[in-house]
Amino acid sequence: MSATEDAGDHGHGGHLPAVEDFPRGFGEASWWPFVTAIGGSGIYVGAALFLLAARGGFGIGMGTAAAVSIGSIGLFVFGILGWLYHGFVASFWQRHKSEQSESKLVWGMYAFLGSEIATFSAGFIYFFFIQAGGLGEIPDVFGSLVIFNTLLLIASSFVLHFSEVALRNGNRKRFVTLLGATLLMGIIFIGGQVYEYYEFLAVKNFTPAAIAGGEVIYSNPFASAFYALTGLHGLHVTLGAVLLGIVFVRGLRGQYSAERHVSVKTAALYWHFVDVVWIFLVAAIYIGATAL
Amino acid sequence: MGLSGELALTLLTGVLVLIVFALATRFDDWRTYTPLAGGGALGGETGYGHDEKPGGIVRWLTTVDHKDIGILYGVYAIVAFAWGGLAVMLMRFELATPAMDVLASVGGRAFYNQLLTSHGITMLFLFGTPILAAFSNYFIPLLIGADDMAFPRINAIAFWLLPPGAILIWAGFFLAPFFDGIAASMTSWTMYPPQAVAQTAAGQDAMSYEYAGRVIASSEIDTAALNAGTDLMLLGLHLTGVSATMGAINFIATIFTERGSDVGWDKLDIFSWTILTQSALILFSFPLLGSAIVMLLLDRNFATGFFAVEGGGTILYQHLFWFFGHPEVYILVLPPMGIISYVLPRFSGRKLFGFKFVVYSTLAIGVLSFGVWAHHMFASGIDPRLRAGFMAVSLAIAIPSAVKTFNWITTMWNGNIRLTTPMLFCIGFIANFIIGGVTGVFLAAVPVDLILHDTYYVVGHFHYVIMGAIAFAVFAGVYYWFPIVSGRMYQRTLGKAHFWTTMVGTNLTFFAMILLGYGGMPRRYATYNGVTAEGIIGYFTNLHVIATVGAFILLVGQIIWLVNMVQSWLEGPVVGPDPWNLKEDGLPSREFDWHADRIETTLADGGEPAEDEPMTDGGEPVDADDDAAGDE
Ligand code: HEM
Ligand SMILES: [Cu+2]
Repeated sequence: MSATEDAGDHGHGGHLPAVEDFPRGFGEASWWPFVTAIGGSGIYVGAALFLLAARGGFGIGMGTAAAVSIGSIGLFVFGILGWLYHGFVASFWQRHKSEQSESKLVWGMYAFLGSEIATFSAGFIYFFFIQAGGLGEIPDVFGSLVIFNTLLLIASSFVLHFSEVALRNGNRKRFVTLLGATLLMGIIFIGGQVYEYYEFLAVKNFTPAAIAGGEVIYSNPFASAFYALTGLHGLHVTLGAVLLGIVFVRGLRGQYSAERHVSVKTAALYWHFVDVVWIFLVAAIYIGATAL
Repeated sequence: MGLSGELALTLLTGVLVLIVFALATRFDDWRTYTPLAGGGALGGETGYGHDEKPGGIVRWLTTVDHKDIGILYGVYAIVAFAWGGLAVMLMRFELATPAMDVLASVGGRAFYNQLLTSHGITMLFLFGTPILAAFSNYFIPLLIGADDMAFPRINAIAFWLLPPGAILIWAGFFLAPFFDGIAASMTSWTMYPPQAVAQTAAGQDAMSYEYAGRVIASSEIDTAALNAGTDLMLLGLHLTGVSATMGAINFIATIFTERGSDVGWDKLDIFSWTILTQSALILFSFPLLGSAIVMLLLDRNFATGFFAVEGGGTILYQHLFWFFGHPEVYILVLPPMGIISYVLPRFSGRKLFGFKFVVYSTLAIGVLSFGVWAHHMFASGIDPRLRAGFMAVSLAIAIPSAVKTFNWITTMWNGNIRLTTPMLFCIGFIANFIIGGVTGVFLAAVPVDLILHDTYYVVGHFHYVIMGAIAFAVFAGVYYWFPIVSGRMYQRTLGKAHFWTTMVGTNLTFFAMILLGYGGMPRRYATYNGVTAEGIIGYFTNLHVIATVGAFILLVGQIIWLVNMVQSWLEGPVVGPDPWNLKEDGLPSREFDWHADRIETTLADGGEPAEDEPMTDGGEPVDADDDAAGDE
């Protein structure tokens, strides 16, 4: 309950969580969670179908798997957008600003970032584990592209910060411009990563294992660490770009103000986190592996 | 035992189940009261609240109300409990004799291993975590004076990820009859590679080959031969992990920011403290398991070699798994400890003894639980210095657990004890937890563990905690809060029958396992007729028979429980505002205040009046204790 508005009345009669939603006219009902969850689960089912199709013998083709996956992703995105719309966007200016609803979003983001540390740490632990045993021959992964991308990502964090500052000072135009610039830098970063993958996979043939005479020889355990960590990070940058994109569009359409910017803040937190992970990653995987 | 024996056994079980059911329905405490017309209101929304939710099935699919979601979690968990329980009954029947017989015609050892895997995964991930989420969803917002969870829609999403997760986890069983290349997974709940990477649907090793003079088990890729059931299970497990993490984030945000203005940190109840700690543990452990699962999937399907000998090896997997796995056992036990700390004082007529120390010990366990994981790997050949360190921390973690135990006992000391069903389960919890904890301390000592590792002693240890303590606390909570959730009272005689069958069944089954472990019976074996040592086979057989009998008693008890719950929910007597006479003892609690409020609102809205006499379970009205002033 929001402490400021109706303190003392615990339990019923307080705020209803889903006043403006489908199905219409109820306070505690929304189709979006169900739709989002079915879409999200469908992505897992799609992945399962891909694996069954690859094994063969189940009467399932890649086409079915792809159809289920794409359909599920669509449903998932549809659910998320509907939820965001009814939860945050639709009545943006009608809702009262409340300290408490802001701090819950910020706490939610902090907790989520905590879980992200755990997600990444498994990959880092694998890397340190194999590094302790000696990495053997590895290609030179550190180069000018990495330096460029690193500087770009760090710079984008600063630009984003100044964008937030601008919003808090009431300078909307500067806020939107700098936010757009951040988004652009993020997209360039992703482009750089894609180019790097192309180089390593197609040109340098840098893969974890090679098949020789029907047998798999794990020639390069470092490659698994490299692709797992950079790939996971790439996914995170992409998600961060999507979040910034949503904030950007909402900003363009006139939402947010000097007092109301909690989703700008949470999206920015996420972006800074992804940036910090990248610095660790460069230190460990790119520099640590080659220099030590 | 051939096919006819098996048929006879099935028939016998069926008849017994029917008899229990029939007997259970004969008990009719509540029939002496006139049931109110119209039956119970599912979800307890009597009289008010109709405007907030649509009717019928749509209500349940669209609900974002934390109470409804709590009920959904509960129903889901009970279905999982039934699945896991039936799987283990089949295993117990098989183990009653040394040779392969009951399961011989349905897949033999391979099928036994499938049941074993499904039992473990189901009970831990689909029953354990969700049943605790049922309590926390329903009661945390009430206990901290919040309108709802911080993120009601995320709360609903987290729940709806679970049913598809369960279907994927169990999918191997459903698909096996139709396709050759698939069976339910046989990896056991720990999913160690190389087995978890290399098993075929027949339970064989798909990939052993020689490499540099050694036989290496994860290097030849013959992915077509791998058991797809394991892939589906891993995907489902990942999904349920995502759900648990979302729930944890939600509880952290809720407890930090949604507390009512009159609920400061100093006023936070003990159950909320344990849920907060549990959520922090989930936050840092489940995503790590998620990554390890993805690495397994990649190893299985894309030759990444994370856990191949040339990569991180299987020891790396064990580190990752147990870094999750040990916190997981505290994820499962902390909220039950919270329930006990919350319910036990209410039937002891006094406040929880040393409230602060119970909170501190909860936090201490939370921190320490991340520093003990390698005690599961003492026998794996890790560095002896590492083992010594982990042994020290593991012994240390017993201290906060013991602090709690002494606090509970001291709370009861000289208290005004009312032996209601929830209280019986609380006391049973303490008794069983002591055995489970002490056996754990023995296992934490490296030299003892090297002898007892991978024997039934370990199985006995953790079942004393998981069944004897965690499930008992769950039942204590179910009975204690049944009046709030259903608006009705359960049947006391059946409740007590449930307690005694469960208590006797648990101790028969799991004490026999501890003795089996001392005798050297290895865990995860479908047969033991290969044992040749003189006298041992008889020892094993007798103890296994005892364990099977105990398991059967447990089954009977749980059927009694289900009958009681369903029938009382539909037709039990409607309760008054203070069914446990908490006010008289000066031990009011927030959620029962809310319950009383709701009844008042219902009356004001023209609902039907509740019975005059509050229904209590053996709760002779007691004189208020002198020192029992106020809530903890
Ligand atoms: C009092 C503190 C405890 C200590 C010192 C302790 C110690 C141990 C040790 C050393 C093992 C490894 C045995 C082996 O495999 O050789 C073990 C296994 C286990 N313990 Fe505990 N334990 C404690 C409490 C608990 C609690 C509270 C739970 C459950 C909620 C639990 C659940 C388990 C499980 C599930 C296993 C078996 C894992 C497996 O191999 O499948 N333990 N315990
Ligand atoms: Cu442990």
